[in-house]
Amino acid sequence: MDASIGIPPAVTDETEQFWTNAAQGRLVIEHCLACGAESFPPRGMCRKCRGRSMSAVEVAGRGRVYSFTVNYQRWLPDLEVPYTIVLVEFPDHPGVRVIGRLRDGDPQRAAIGLEVEVGFEPGPGGFAIPSFAAVEGAG
Amino acid sequence: MGSERFEQRAVISGVGQSAIDRVVPRSGFQLTLDAVMAAIADAGLGVDDIDGLAMFPGGGAANLPGYANGNLYEVHDALGITTTWRQGQVEGMSLPFYAASQAVATGQARHVVVWRTVKEGSAARLAGGRPAYGSTHPEAEGPLAWLLPVGALSPVCQVAPYATRYMYEYGVTREQLAWIPVTQRLHASLNPDAVYRDPLTVDDYLGSRMISWPICLYDCDVPADGSTAIVISAVETAHDLRSPVRIEAMAGVIDGRPSWEQWEDMGRVGYATAAAMWARTDLTPQDVDVAQLYDGFTIEAVWWLEAMGFCGTGEAGAFVEGGARIALDGQLPLNTWGGQLSGGRLHAGFGHTAEAVRQLRGEAGERQVVGAEVAAVTNVGGIEAGAALLTRW
Repeated sequence: MDASIGIPPAVTDETEQFWTNAAQGRLVIEHCLACGAESFPPRGMCRKCRGRSMSAVEVAGRGRVYSFTVNYQRWLPDLEVPYTIVLVEFPDHPGVRVIGRLRDGDPQRAAIGLEVEVGFEPGPGGFAIPSFAAVEGAG
Repeated sequence: MGSERFEQRAVISGVGQSAIDRVVPRSGFQLTLDAVMAAIADAGLGVDDIDGLAMFPGGGAANLPGYANGNLYEVHDALGITTTWRQGQVEGMSLPFYAASQAVATGQARHVVVWRTVKEGSAARLAGGRPAYGSTHPEAEGPLAWLLPVGALSPVCQVAPYATRYMYEYGVTREQLAWIPVTQRLHASLNPDAVYRDPLTVDDYLGSRMISWPICLYDCDVPADGSTAIVISAVETAHDLRSPVRIEAMAGVIDGRPSWEQWEDMGRVGYATAAAMWARTDLTPQDVDVAQLYDGFTIEAVWWLEAMGFCGTGEAGAFVEGGARIALDGQLPLNTWGGQLSGGRLHAGFGHTAEAVRQLRGEAGERQVVGAEVAAVTNVGGIEAGAALLTRW
């Protein structure tokens, strides 16, 4: 399914690192050098201790679907439907949630608690957008 | 309870609306003037009494499809008035009368008109369907930068995952939720200004097309053309007013992450706001005679029923099932004008506020709730929530 029809993100000083890494297949979040807390989206400030020294760390492990929707509506001309949007959380990164597509085409596959692998696919404007794949055998 | 409740130094003195329909072939500017003039007359005031103007949203969001407030200064100019207070606002607009109440309570103005004008029905027709959120912008900015690029192109798909989660956690079904749009349609049949007045059944609901699971067509409010204006006056001017309504308590709290996909559980979006509102009054949920709860989607009214304490968390499905409790003669008549689901998406709580005022005055015609003395009004725009109690003068 083609996910490239749509509206690309405006890139800011805070989000440039995310999109640059996304283009290379890496999902990065912010890590506070003072207290070690992780957060997303990037704000340049730790939401826990308000520290201002933040580094980027990669989320490599598996995630779990907090919830999902299957979109059937053609909001824009040529938009391919249906597709599944998932909110994914990560057991190894508490407090971090990322929204993306579920790359597997079958809407019936989507479920709360589904285990997914981090990934990306070509999105609007040439950006790589978060796109998760169900772990085989999970469900 | 706070001893200094500024909202009790303000009253809602007038409400007015333009023609409301799927498409009204007049400019947004003319609809605005229609509503503003009607609201001023409804208050029993003259145009020259108005010394404050506000609109939602301000200029920043005016270029979204169908946002048709016009320019505040051009409305000011058309009215030919002198003002001491003005505001165009997006952030912080928890209720239509929130900031204006602060203005009149603190003496910055005596009579403020605030309006919201939509031409979203016309915009939907032009787009060949409901337009995508942000579709008129080349890039997605702010919180939308995470939502639009992955295909969460409308508030429908932005709120839907939280509806999925709510139904999963509490076992609430679409068969139960259907009773909100079905009952509100019944109310709309008694409102000559409602956009949709023909009967709607649970079977119609279950058979309608899916927009973004689990939200179907009849769970979505109706894009419409129309304007609503509300006049807020200082309480000491009450003797000049035709039929003022008291603001007993109001609040607007954000205690979660202010973006659609990051809110820990959007089903709880109204809880802190409702708690803060109840802390400002001696009234309780049992005292409410009529509830105008924001219904951009069915699920938002569900969450407000629970947040406001009209039923327990996870109990709204059972509460609305069968429709008796939320009917005009039920224990909590809900969205008696049809709500946005049938009355039209007048947005941001403006239609809800207008109806609450009419009910408390006994001016709601065939849909009048007998003996309505206390009305609850809520608004939610994803993350921005507001709740108020209005009472009969």
